[in-house]
Amino acid sequence: MAPPSTQQVLLSPAELSYIHTSLSLTPPIRPDARTSTQFRTLTAETNILPGTNGSARICFADGTEAIVGIKAEVEKSRTTYQAGEDLNFADDDDEDEETRQEEKEAEERRGSNEWVELTVEIPGFRDDDSMPVFLAAMLSEALLADGEFTSRLWINRRYHWKLYLDILLLSQPLSYPLPLLSLTTHLALLSTRLPRLKSELDEDPLFDDDWDASVFLYPREWQKSYTRPPITLLVMAVNDNIIFDPSKEELAVAEAVLAVSIGERSSANAEDGGMEVDSDRNARDLRLLAVRTIDPPSRLTHPGVPNSMNTATGGTAAATIEQASSQREVTEAEGVWQPPRGGAKRKLIAAMIQKVLEPGGVAEEVLDGLDTVELG
Amino acid sequence: MTSLKRSLASDPSAANISSKVFVRSTRSGKVQKIVRELYLRDDIPCSSQLCTSCLAKAPRDAGGVLVPFVLSAQPAGTRAYPQGHYLVPDTNALLNALDLFEQTSAFYDVIILQTVLEELRNRSLPLYNRLVGLTKSEEKRFYVFFNDFRLETSVVRDVGESINDRNDRAVRRAVKWYSSHLARAVKAAGGRSKKIPAVVMLSDDKENLRKAKEDGIEACSLKDYVNGLENADQLLDMISVAKEGRELRDAKAAENLYREYYSVSKMMTGVRNGTLHQGIFNVSPYNYLEGSVHVPTFDKSLLILGRENINRAVQGDVVVVEVLPKDQWKEPSTKIIEDETMNKNENADAEEGEAVVTEKERRALQEEVKRVHSKSTEGRPQPTARVVGIAKRNWRQYVGHIDESSVSQSVKQSRKQQTVFLIPMDKRIPKIRVRTRQAGEIIGKRVLVTIDSWDRDSRYPVGHFVRSLGELETKGAETEALLLEYDVQYRPFPKAVLDCLPKEGHDWIVPPSKEDPGWRDRRDLRHLEICSIDPVGCQDIDDALHARPLPNGNYEVGVHIADVSHFVKPNNAMDTEASIRGTTVYLVDKRIDMLPMLLGTDLCSLKPYVERYAFSAIWEITPDADIVKSEFTKSVIKSREAFSYEQAQIRVDDPSQQDDLTKAMRTLMMLSKKFKQKRMDAGALSLSSPEVRIETESETSDPIDVKTKKHLDTMSLVEEFMLLANTSVAAKIYEAFPQTAMLRRHGAPPKTNFEELANQLKVKRGLELRVSSSKELADSLDACVDPKEPFFNTLIRILATRCMMSAEYFCSGTQAYPEFRHYGLASEIYTHFTSPIRRYADLVAHRQLAAAIDYEPLDASVRSKGKLEAVCKNINVRHRNAQQAGRASIEYYVGQALKGRVVDEHGFVMKVFSNGFVVLVPRFGIESLIRLRDLADPEPESAFDAEHYVLRTRGSRELSVELFQKVLVRISDVKEEGTGKRKVRFELVSAGEA
Repeated sequence: MAPPSTQQVLLSPAELSYIHTSLSLTPPIRPDARTSTQFRTLTAETNILPGTNGSARICFADGTEAIVGIKAEVEKSRTTYQAGEDLNFADDDDEDEETRQEEKEAEERRGSNEWVELTVEIPGFRDDDSMPVFLAAMLSEALLADGEFTSRLWINRRYHWKLYLDILLLSQPLSYPLPLLSLTTHLALLSTRLPRLKSELDEDPLFDDDWDASVFLYPREWQKSYTRPPITLLVMAVNDNIIFDPSKEELAVAEAVLAVSIGERSSANAEDGGMEVDSDRNARDLRLLAVRTIDPPSRLTHPGVPNSMNTATGGTAAATIEQASSQREVTEAEGVWQPPRGGAKRKLIAAMIQKVLEPGGVAEEVLDGLDTVELG
Repeated sequence: MTSLKRSLASDPSAANISSKVFVRSTRSGKVQKIVRELYLRDDIPCSSQLCTSCLAKAPRDAGGVLVPFVLSAQPAGTRAYPQGHYLVPDTNALLNALDLFEQTSAFYDVIILQTVLEELRNRSLPLYNRLVGLTKSEEKRFYVFFNDFRLETSVVRDVGESINDRNDRAVRRAVKWYSSHLARAVKAAGGRSKKIPAVVMLSDDKENLRKAKEDGIEACSLKDYVNGLENADQLLDMISVAKEGRELRDAKAAENLYREYYSVSKMMTGVRNGTLHQGIFNVSPYNYLEGSVHVPTFDKSLLILGRENINRAVQGDVVVVEVLPKDQWKEPSTKIIEDETMNKNENADAEEGEAVVTEKERRALQEEVKRVHSKSTEGRPQPTARVVGIAKRNWRQYVGHIDESSVSQSVKQSRKQQTVFLIPMDKRIPKIRVRTRQAGEIIGKRVLVTIDSWDRDSRYPVGHFVRSLGELETKGAETEALLLEYDVQYRPFPKAVLDCLPKEGHDWIVPPSKEDPGWRDRRDLRHLEICSIDPVGCQDIDDALHARPLPNGNYEVGVHIADVSHFVKPNNAMDTEASIRGTTVYLVDKRIDMLPMLLGTDLCSLKPYVERYAFSAIWEITPDADIVKSEFTKSVIKSREAFSYEQAQIRVDDPSQQDDLTKAMRTLMMLSKKFKQKRMDAGALSLSSPEVRIETESETSDPIDVKTKKHLDTMSLVEEFMLLANTSVAAKIYEAFPQTAMLRRHGAPPKTNFEELANQLKVKRGLELRVSSSKELADSLDACVDPKEPFFNTLIRILATRCMMSAEYFCSGTQAYPEFRHYGLASEIYTHFTSPIRRYADLVAHRQLAAAIDYEPLDASVRSKGKLEAVCKNINVRHRNAQQAGRASIEYYVGQALKGRVVDEHGFVMKVFSNGFVVLVPRFGIESLIRLRDLADPEPESAFDAEHYVLRTRGSRELSVELFQKVLVRISDVKEEGTGKRKVRFELVSAGEA
């Protein structure tokens, strides 16, 4: 379980209880009046750093802001034991030879996870603090989950691109910044361009010096869905209510928090599956890449003291801490804050994932939104 | 979700900022995206003298000095532009016809746009350098306008626009701006609109011309423009044919004769991982179809045989080759194949039915193969290779003459354009196909052409005519041809250089007062009995000597060298010019100086009877020629006498001469012999090359006779002391500057170089050539004597010399100490110090020595390793060229001296082929080929014994010729019909004593 944001929650047990209660209603009432699936408004722009291969900036309405810059470098591939055997590329006119070569190449096009280096920087945190490290791990896990991403970095059998993703949170982490960073990274990757390769086969790579001729890392076809980088969304649950894009206050009362990473396959691949679901409305072919539970900060909050245990209201205080907690186990007083205990129910988690992935669900909405961002 | 698109309008200075994005691949393999911000300015001047507004605004340097405006206020007019015009060429106009822009008859007031200059640099570096040279010359009035930095003319690339289109648009924008700007300027000055010069864009791109027309810009194709000029025919020839040809060929879709080159990346990868090799392509002087490439991987050069394998490489190109499979390996040919004899009857215009290999050539090659096969048991086939790509073309301008047979008679007089062949003077260069309108005029002349391209479907390279040097065999034309061919800078010194000379001119004298700064740290040696010994008529006297006995029985010996570094200060125009020229070039009738005459023959020259500044090396030497002590100092000397070698020799030999000067010379003579002996014992080589001297008529300098140089003892006297001075200076500057000393080395030749000669000696004479060290070699060369033939030893030395590496200048930090060795002189360390008037290396050594003895601080230019390396590289090339030019000049004059004469002379066989042999005539120092078919008509049958180097003929003439044989040849000169070239011709009179 990933650690929570260590940001101290500065809410009293009464406030927590209030938020918890209002979020438990059907429909839930969120402190900022959003609906349960509504995201905070955000502003996005791409290609803000001219010196990088791709970059993006996203700014949430609450003031959190992130910048992602992506740089690519040509690197020599380490030869594997099978690959090193024949590197000379004499013209083989033999057709069999050629097809064999192609097959072999397809096999070799697989990249290695070492070709991507992802760092997260958050103000006020050291780079070896758990928060940035875990965030980076989660983001790169989602990125590498499909095993396909690194093959995009393949140049030839001897060279590959090495991608450096530098993710920078500009503001304080007011809420858990995972979705912000993920969306920004997503946009930055979409805008990433690599110089066009001019050389062939296994030659030392030679590139076109015209930047306008460079190719997108995620090539796009007009008006067609295409494979795109993954996004990671944060979903939380209070009782049975599933709430998206939680703010800091909401997280403080969450009973379960999930980071759900989803990817999208290009429509061409989708047809292979033979599923005739909603083919009329150009549905997205979403795939679940990873799910992580996140330790909600609510577990670290102080419990409220019920009247029965408060001497000021005529109750009797427990003699020891052990007694107090065991007493609290059994009291179910309305309006008294109890930090959540135990894990989330399996059924609830399934429902949360379902809510993300279902047609017309949140993921589609987010992706639609991202599509409107201009990639200059 | 909101997408934020920042608009630049909000930024007040946005209009002045633009940026440029491109991808840069570094040599180490890094690929970077580079973003350059451009800050646009409005004070970049148009540089027209008509404009006053720019004059007021143009930026000044720190001293408030303005760069003078270049473009003339009254530019020349043409028929189309009577009001006068400025030219703005685009990139392809410059690529196709830079020669035109170098003309002096037209092409003045030219605006070179930054866009064009940058594009040209990417396309062709040599052309770029020539253009930069042009923009620097004041009389041509070329102005580089930085259009991309000027607000009004900067152009941002549109979405989807190609770079070329963007550049073309930038050119058009600049032209448009110029014309409106000039119109405003003239009106502001109150001029009439008739006076506004037209701004004309020159382009060969049809699309660009069309768009220019749309934009309402004056534009013109090169051809149309040149047609409007006076000597249009001549100028039209200078437009590169590459483009025209391409259009022609598209229509015809001719088949390709040569294989396509590999892509750059494929070549690079191949070279890096060792499957391909890169090296400089060299053509065999005897067989134009055989080339060799020396690559770092192998000891011996790779052979490249046949036109297909040579694949359009030209002598000097840096090529990438691929080794051929073993079954295609061959021995180098033993046959002479010359282009002229093989393809005599080709028609330059005919393009059809062209095969890369003509039937005749193919047959010649087949015979070759058969021969190799027949003796495959003991034959040692050598690895052969095939050119797969050109890393760098080293095309230059070539001197040659028109092949008269390729000019059709009917059009000789007419002005119709036709294609003719040019036969280059350098036999290793293939014929060049040239299109010209002046075929009739340039027949029988030396002409200069450049190669433009060599496409896969053309058997010969295509070039264009640059200019005519004059009639064949006239002294002027031939001398200029030599200078051009060996890239000798022969134009007069520019004004900037002459400005660096002392103001007093020839009246300059050593300051009489010792308080003068010139006397600082200078030793007064005027009291010494100093004299100089040089060849007859020498004007640039570099060195002088003195010797006197010391009270302790030892001798004091001084070598005094002209103090050139006093007059040539580092980094001024004169120094730059000298470093480019590198060396003085001596031709038979001409000397191309490295330094202006005033210095070389007067102020620096250690003339007798006058006081001169010198740089002296003074030693104390025991009578056994051991050096006790040595010192170096700047000095003032007064030479007592300037002797010629002959005069000095007579004086030394005459016992009645007992004056101090003669005694000193005898002392020097005695010491020099001991030095020489020591050197020989250490293993110095005495090498030889056939040296002759041309006797010329004193007034017309027409050659009248050829004499071999006589060797005098006084020559080795001077030589020994110069060697001594050079080695001591080398040691001194190396000690002072171990990283940056200017030194000279002579690498030990690889053993394989001597293999053939050793084998020849073994087979023919039973002599052994040991080459493991220079000492061994010197000893075994001494043993190579034929009691009956005194010249035999010299012949072997000549042949051995040709197996050597050439000596080279280098900067001490670039080599390890053991590599410093001078193989020929058997000296551990060596430099050139004694001829600063005629060699730049010596001048550098002077500066370093002066710094080493704390006379002056070391200038930065001789302290930087990188700069010194560049200097070394240049002077090594210049040095070699100068030697070759000198030799070629002698060769030409020998030919001229023999003109109309028939002489019988003894010669020696140097090389035997299966269809001919090479004879060297020591009397004239010339070697020439005698082919079998020259022996008798019809050509006698022959049998060639390659193992014993014997060629036997039967049939019409019976004789046998073997290597090293002495033969009697008749030397005459012939003017070849067809080429109009005079050649020395050898005929075999008798095969000598054999």
